[in-house]
Amino acid sequence: MNYLFLVTLFPLIGAVLLAIFRRMPVNLAATIGVGSIGLSALTTLALALQFFGNDQTAFVQHLWTWISVEAFEVGFDYRLDGLSLTLLGVITGVGFLIHLFASWYMREDLKDQVDYLYTRFFCYMNLFVFSMLVLVLGNNLLLMFLGWEGVGLCSYLLIGYYYRGEANAWAAFKAFIITRVGDVFLAIGMFLIWIQFGTLDIQTVIAQAPEVMAEGTLLTEVTALMLLGGAVGKSAQLPLQTWLADAMAGPTPVSALIHAATMVTAGVYLIARTHVVFELAPFTDELVGVLGLLTLLIAGFSALAQTDIKRVLAYSTMSQIGYMFLALGVHAYGAAIFHLMIHAFFKALLFLASGSVIISCHHEQNIFKMGGLRKKIPLAYACFVVGGAALSALPIVTSGFYSKDEILWLSFANGHTVLWLGGLAGAFLTSIYTFRMIFIVFHGKPASHASEHAHAPQGIAHHLPLLVLIVLSTFVGAFITPPLSNVLPETEVTASHALQISLEVLSSVVAIVGLGIAAALFLGRRRFVKGLVESDEGAKLWQFFNSAFAFDAIYDRLFVKPYLAIARLHRYDWIDKLAGIFPGLVKLGNSAMSASQNGQLRSYAATFVLGALVIVAALLVS
Amino acid sequence: MNLTLTHLFALLPLIIVGITVVVVMLSVACRRNHFLNATLSGCGLILALLSVFWVQCSDHGSQLPTLVSPMVAVDSYSLFYIGLILVAALACIVFAYAYFDRLKVHREEFYLLLLCSTLGAMVLVSAVHMASLFIGLELMSVPLYGMAAYIFKRQQSLEAGIKYLVLSAVASSFLLFGMALLFAAYGELGFAELGLKLVSVDYLDTWTIIGVGMMVIGLAFKLSVAPFHMWTSDVYEGAPAPVSAFLATVSKVAVFAVLVRFFILAPTFSVKLHTVIAVLAVLSMLTGNLLALRSHNIKRLLGYSSIAHLGYLLTAVVVLRSGVSDGAGELSESGQLVLEATGVYLVGYVLTSLGTFGVVALATHADSANRDTSELRGLAQRRPVLAVCMAFMLLSLAGIPLTAGFIGKFYVLALTVNGELWWLAASVIVGSAIGLYYYLRTIVELFLPTDDATVTAANGRGQALGALVVVIAAALTLWIGIFPEPIITMVNSALPVGL
Repeated sequence: MNYLFLVTLFPLIGAVLLAIFRRMPVNLAATIGVGSIGLSALTTLALALQFFGNDQTAFVQHLWTWISVEAFEVGFDYRLDGLSLTLLGVITGVGFLIHLFASWYMREDLKDQVDYLYTRFFCYMNLFVFSMLVLVLGNNLLLMFLGWEGVGLCSYLLIGYYYRGEANAWAAFKAFIITRVGDVFLAIGMFLIWIQFGTLDIQTVIAQAPEVMAEGTLLTEVTALMLLGGAVGKSAQLPLQTWLADAMAGPTPVSALIHAATMVTAGVYLIARTHVVFELAPFTDELVGVLGLLTLLIAGFSALAQTDIKRVLAYSTMSQIGYMFLALGVHAYGAAIFHLMIHAFFKALLFLASGSVIISCHHEQNIFKMGGLRKKIPLAYACFVVGGAALSALPIVTSGFYSKDEILWLSFANGHTVLWLGGLAGAFLTSIYTFRMIFIVFHGKPASHASEHAHAPQGIAHHLPLLVLIVLSTFVGAFITPPLSNVLPETEVTASHALQISLEVLSSVVAIVGLGIAAALFLGRRRFVKGLVESDEGAKLWQFFNSAFAFDAIYDRLFVKPYLAIARLHRYDWIDKLAGIFPGLVKLGNSAMSASQNGQLRSYAATFVLGALVIVAALLVS
Repeated sequence: MNLTLTHLFALLPLIIVGITVVVVMLSVACRRNHFLNATLSGCGLILALLSVFWVQCSDHGSQLPTLVSPMVAVDSYSLFYIGLILVAALACIVFAYAYFDRLKVHREEFYLLLLCSTLGAMVLVSAVHMASLFIGLELMSVPLYGMAAYIFKRQQSLEAGIKYLVLSAVASSFLLFGMALLFAAYGELGFAELGLKLVSVDYLDTWTIIGVGMMVIGLAFKLSVAPFHMWTSDVYEGAPAPVSAFLATVSKVAVFAVLVRFFILAPTFSVKLHTVIAVLAVLSMLTGNLLALRSHNIKRLLGYSSIAHLGYLLTAVVVLRSGVSDGAGELSESGQLVLEATGVYLVGYVLTSLGTFGVVALATHADSANRDTSELRGLAQRRPVLAVCMAFMLLSLAGIPLTAGFIGKFYVLALTVNGELWWLAASVIVGSAIGLYYYLRTIVELFLPTDDATVTAANGRGQALGALVVVIAAALTLWIGIFPEPIITMVNSALPVGL
């Protein structure tokens, strides 16, 4: 398995090549950009085969010593175990499909958005994959942090890919700054771990945690809380969730790869990796689930009142990651990672399909200007039906059913009834907003010129990724079982099997009822919804949901405005005034001295003699 | 006194320069030819430089240090500084050739003066006796008056020569008086002999201290240490640029070397005296930097900056009090550090001064009276190589890392911190902070665009060679800045006689 480093090397080489030869032809750029990820995916496949042939033993590759300062030693070590292999598969596999799709999407995109470099897009994308792989493979918290910051950077660069639009630049800023807040927490968490353990090696920390950290003490809680802060920032969970919807300003494949399938789930990975720490901090442990639940409900309500197809999907992503956090909160780590993987399949599918819809409709993103598209672009419709079904966890045939129900079941079985109930309510919401979107976009009559003249996309680069992801989003995807038994603890369940079946039936019913309500509300002429929205209270509620519970306005009042006020206050910096004293003195000295340089020999001689006199006098007097 | 072959061999560098003076004089008498005489002088200096290596290498530790007479010692210390002086003089000849080539004056005698002055400097660094100190100093200074006033048709130049002459005479009288006082007290003129007497007495009487103090005043003038600095910028500005370069390098190095040697061989442990020197150092740093702050004439600015730099260097002499611990000629560890610091600082200072004055000599018009920084404005457009070198040299003068100037300044700071001279350390820092302003301002000036059509690229013979010297100086500055080890080793092996 010594070729493990190749997984990260290919995307890095791709990124470097694309960065150096910026003006290369589009075809070559696509070949390099997609090919590097393809090679990575093949390497991952080989690694997986060997890994399973090897009894799933973890493999550590020491590449070089990164930092070595006295006791502080950080190796550039990769670790391949069940958890990182699962993520590796998602990143390179789904990543490859998205890259392939992107080669088509960006080419279409170039027709409207001239002047944006094709190579730049793939350069950032490859760099992102590299960083994400380092994040997942890093056997050291600092190395993981390197990847963590790398993906944050690439996310920023790609959200702001269309940098000529000011709103896009602001969205990139917002994403970068808010995730940075989380990153600072994570960094502090790492410092705290270093203080307690004297190492940042993840495996050492996991092994020694029960001895080093006392359960439930303030230090332990704060350490876990800081790690959680990093995780919620990256994964767009409450209270650092506001950036994700705006991040949709980037190209759609970016939303699929970074803001749905991989980067935003890094927080889930982090908590699963360091779950030992969380288990020693009961309060924070509980908080993980609660935050997940709150996020999934808030995001679910928000998704109900969105008009932009990508924002609907963004809020659904937030809510699905909320489920993963909920799972982490109830110690169902396996279920969380399983849902992470399944979610990557169907959410990538939905995002790519939405990209396809957007291109078909000539860059129209408002769902109320679409309508009736199911006959014009049947493939996208199929994608949305399958992906939407998986998202809503419709029973038996979808992959989402297996992953989400496991979470709900385990939360109930582990005695977190409130979380279970909330999760069930969330499932209900999910079902409604998903099919609301599908019915509005694909059913009814075309609502605008753009949707009337929608054209079906062509090409293998467009079809293949969608078809593969359709298959993976059905129950077929659920057959892929992440090999987590050696990494994460199994959840022990004492409740009976019959109870599980009945709960599954219950959640299936909830999903189907949601679907039915969506059909009743949004198929046909939508008179009831219209009436509701046009009433005073309804409009207010709609506005409230549309702005995602007005978090942006609250944060604006609470943080942005005061910060700007402080900045304005400091424009008249009194410290700067103090610092101005020194130059003033120097200028004064300069004037005084310059007066003596009058160019007259007699005054020079006089000064000389005067100076000598003073010196001699000083030496005489004692 | 009998001179053996060994003695003559040790004196080889001085002899060669002396012969060169005669040869150039005869050559000028036969035929005026600028190129020929400049080349002859240059060759003489190169031969002398080679002989320095020869003497140093053939020594095998047996013959050196050689006390040629009670007056002159050829040891590794004097050889090191003779080498430095020869390199500086050589560079000055190259600059002078390019500079005077454009002038319609009798140019050839200049090299004669320069060689004489160089010979004086070489005697000075080898001096271990009051008499040779004075002879060396005057041999160095007297030709300099002529050199400063060489373009006598220009009033500024003439004025510079006369100012230097008059004030120099005052300084020499102080020096002589100081020597006389010491002779009156101890009846000795040799440094080492004087040192033995000084160490043997428990208590230095007032006249001894005043005698040394007056010598310090005399030498401080040559080093342009405040408050004896007034002449510096006027002379630097008025004199031809190569002469300013010579003044800033050769004369400063020679005087400082002999000052350090004097304080090592004839140590005075008077707290008062060293306090006075410390005050002079602080005054120089502040005065030099403050004066340079708003000076827009590049030669004046460099003059002021040299005042400040000599102030930094003077801290080495202050620290020497504790460095010469066990009597005359014995150096403690901190004394060793003083020698190291002095050598490294002087090498860096000489290189950067040569570079900056070289650029001024090459890039400005010899016959223009007004040599403002505005004349260097836009240098980057006309002479990009010179501009980059100049910028780098200015950074070195400012003490930015990766330059020789930084290493030197680091040594000075280390000295003050080791000696726990906090006031000196503070003023080094304050002085450097002020210095940064005008050095950087000058760099900005170099790269500003200019629309002055009258400023044209200077072309003439010797420009290319001059530029090469500047580039070499810049390269060496960078090299020492990155990798100072060889220079430090070289300086450390250069110990004065009696150690």
